[in-house]
Amino acid sequence: MATQKLTPKEQVQEAILYPIDWLEERSGLVGGIKYFLFRRVPGDINWFQTLGSATLTAFIVQALTGSILAMYYKPDPQNAYSSIQHITNDVFAGWLVRGMHRWGASVFIILMFMHMGRVFLFGAYKYPRELNWIIGVLLLTMGLAEGFTGYLLPWDQTAYWATVVGINLNGTAPFLGPFISQFLQGGTYIDDGTIARFYAIHMLMIPGAIIALIVLHLYLVIRLGVTSPPWSKEAAGTGSMLKPSRNGRRGLTRPGPRRKG
Amino acid sequence: MQPPEDHPHVPGPSLWPVGFAVGAVVLMVGIIISWWVAGLGAVIALAFAFLWVRDLTAGTELTHAPDVEPERAADGPAAPGPAATSASVTEERFPRSKFLELSTLGLGGVIGGIVTAPAVGFMIAPAFLKQGSKDHDIGPLTDYPEGKYVVATFMSDPAQGEVSRRTAYVRYNGPLNGLPSFTVISNHCAHLGCPVQPNGPLEESQKKQIRDVTLIPTVSIAGFGCPCHGGQYDTEGNRTSGPPVRALDRYSFSIRNGHLFLGHPFSVSHVDGTGAGAKIHKWTLAFPGEPVSGLESWLYPIQPPH
Amino acid sequence: MASERLIERKRVFHQYKEDVKERGKPFYPFAMLHDTIMSLVVVSVITGLAIVWKYTTPGDHHTIDPGWLGRLYDAPADPGTINFVPRPDWYFYFLFYLLRIFKWPETVVIGTVGLPTVLLIILLAIPFIDVRPERRLLRRPVAIVASILVVISMGVLTYKGATAKEALGSEIVGHVPSWAAKEGFTGNKQAIAGAKIFAVAGCLNCHTYLGDGGTNLGAPDLSAEGAKNKGIAFQIAHLKCPACVNSGSPMPSFAGLGDARLKQIAAFLEASKGPKK
Repeated sequence: MATQKLTPKEQVQEAILYPIDWLEERSGLVGGIKYFLFRRVPGDINWFQTLGSATLTAFIVQALTGSILAMYYKPDPQNAYSSIQHITNDVFAGWLVRGMHRWGASVFIILMFMHMGRVFLFGAYKYPRELNWIIGVLLLTMGLAEGFTGYLLPWDQTAYWATVVGINLNGTAPFLGPFISQFLQGGTYIDDGTIARFYAIHMLMIPGAIIALIVLHLYLVIRLGVTSPPWSKEAAGTGSMLKPSRNGRRGLTRPGPRRKG
Repeated sequence: MQPPEDHPHVPGPSLWPVGFAVGAVVLMVGIIISWWVAGLGAVIALAFAFLWVRDLTAGTELTHAPDVEPERAADGPAAPGPAATSASVTEERFPRSKFLELSTLGLGGVIGGIVTAPAVGFMIAPAFLKQGSKDHDIGPLTDYPEGKYVVATFMSDPAQGEVSRRTAYVRYNGPLNGLPSFTVISNHCAHLGCPVQPNGPLEESQKKQIRDVTLIPTVSIAGFGCPCHGGQYDTEGNRTSGPPVRALDRYSFSIRNGHLFLGHPFSVSHVDGTGAGAKIHKWTLAFPGEPVSGLESWLYPIQPPH
Repeated sequence: MASERLIERKRVFHQYKEDVKERGKPFYPFAMLHDTIMSLVVVSVITGLAIVWKYTTPGDHHTIDPGWLGRLYDAPADPGTINFVPRPDWYFYFLFYLLRIFKWPETVVIGTVGLPTVLLIILLAIPFIDVRPERRLLRRPVAIVASILVVISMGVLTYKGATAKEALGSEIVGHVPSWAAKEGFTGNKQAIAGAKIFAVAGCLNCHTYLGDGGTNLGAPDLSAEGAKNKGIAFQIAHLKCPACVNSGSPMPSFAGLGDARLKQIAAFLEASKGPKK
């Protein structure tokens, strides 16, 4: 069998499939991706249900542009403003990357609110998806916190004074407020260390938490399934879509002797 | 599934190679630092090499293989055949597994503590330790005409640069008990810290710049106003309308060699009277938006060290 | 009863899982196509905004003039400034305006942390407040009313925050010639001098004049103050002690400006007979 001569087409297929098989055999990752892609969703899901993945896209744009901006940005009060000017005026496409990060933040936050509104109106937070709603609300607060900490970084007048007000807002929280303020500023006032603190929180701590929460959020979406719109006749949607053939498009890997089932 | 004949070719476990490796390292370090250490390394390496070789030639009888085998069997996912025996083994081993579980958790906790405690301290403590400020010279007394506010902009810590720039409204009130009296008001709104503006025209033409200090006299002002949320203050810094929860903060001051020095800022609930004779109700510095007197100040019982 | 409900909802969810497995469609490519189209829209909008932001900035982009979408960057941070009006990013406008609404010292903490915390707690608690399985909107009147109220109030607060005006004396003093032209007191030197003091003395923190100034604390518009013909003497007395003339007025005294300047301001106010068409 194995020593049979292969046609050129089969050889190409072999060359493409071999690494995929190799990866699958060692990690099971291909199977996982297949499960993700070919999991069933209700037949009548709605355009409004694309808002979640749109939010994810906006977050990815933020993560990418943010990491690139970090290559040119200098988080200290002497250099922050001039590095922003440098990025905007001198670095190739710097204005574009910075603009995408600045406006991507707004789009990200609008999309989070719209996604939340959709989930609320569709009643998609109900049993058994309560936990995912809570994770979503946490993601929303983290997103707003990203907006707040990132706003200081250009170190211009707007940035500085909006941050002063924001920090003092936190400071009016009963009992803990003064401590929160002083922790955020790294001292009694915004001083030469504050910007680096905000930078670390904005760049590393909150994004880390956001990524972890997004993974959980998606895991729960996959585990619990997507809700059909509330006007569907049955819980899983009307199922009006064609039934795709079970053997048809399922194979990213060929069925072979190495894999079972 | 492995053919059993493979086994005899595998040497038994032995610790001697570790000793040999340590000896080799000492030898090599010795070559760099001193021949004496190199000699010691050579002796260690040789001794362990001898033990290792003896071990290899003596076969595998000295190893602890028998002890290990049953444990592996119990830990494994247990083939369906010997279920009964593996169950009894597990029961027998229970206290040991409990011990392992607890010690894993304990050790994990210790690792967590060792890593977290300094990291959290590193993150939080500097914000609260060594706070406070040095006195700063804001120019000779002659720059401050009696009864008029001067807008004094200075660096509270020149080493930090522009980020430490502060503005104070300074008014000379004339002498009090033989000493000059000043009213020094901070420009941070007591509502949420926005920059408070003087309600009146400035004499931009008489602007003075000495080192990091800029002085602009006012013509005359009716008080101070905050552009953010509309807080208004009178000339003593008392709130007259709007949301501020207390009067404007002030700076303590001292006079040395004919120069005015500003010290630590403090909070003020309100001021009775005006000018030199005013009675200032002082409190330790609080963040904007926090009442320092009255019922609501109970919401902020502890102030971090400023 | 309750346990029956729990069993029932478990059964419904199980049924849903079965149905989706049986009759659902695979996520890829059916739903994913929609997701991808939407993501393309998102990325295009973001890139488009970045491009518009840059190319509508007047001149080359080395300036700090605002374009359609605001400045590329503002003047560098100055912690000692006395003539700057801070604004938050637009998604905090609602909070910004909320803080203007809570204009009494006793209520500051409600606006700053009270309301936002309550909102957050309500948001987190929604799945536990509304435990009915009903998802059809028309049968969830409370949810409909609540969401309409939230959208309207957030929209109004954000709009008010976005359009809220502040008075920056150093900027507004440049408007004095145009005020004089519109109100027709160009020849009146007293009134012009008064207008300049009026512009920088913080009056416009609360009052408005020909579209300039903030509307804090509900202070009236003064564009047509002179039309009331109250007289110079009244205006001076009022500026010196607003509450004496007009009891309960929250306006602070401006006696500190001195009689000569108060007279100029009064002349300006009396000369303001309303904009001429």
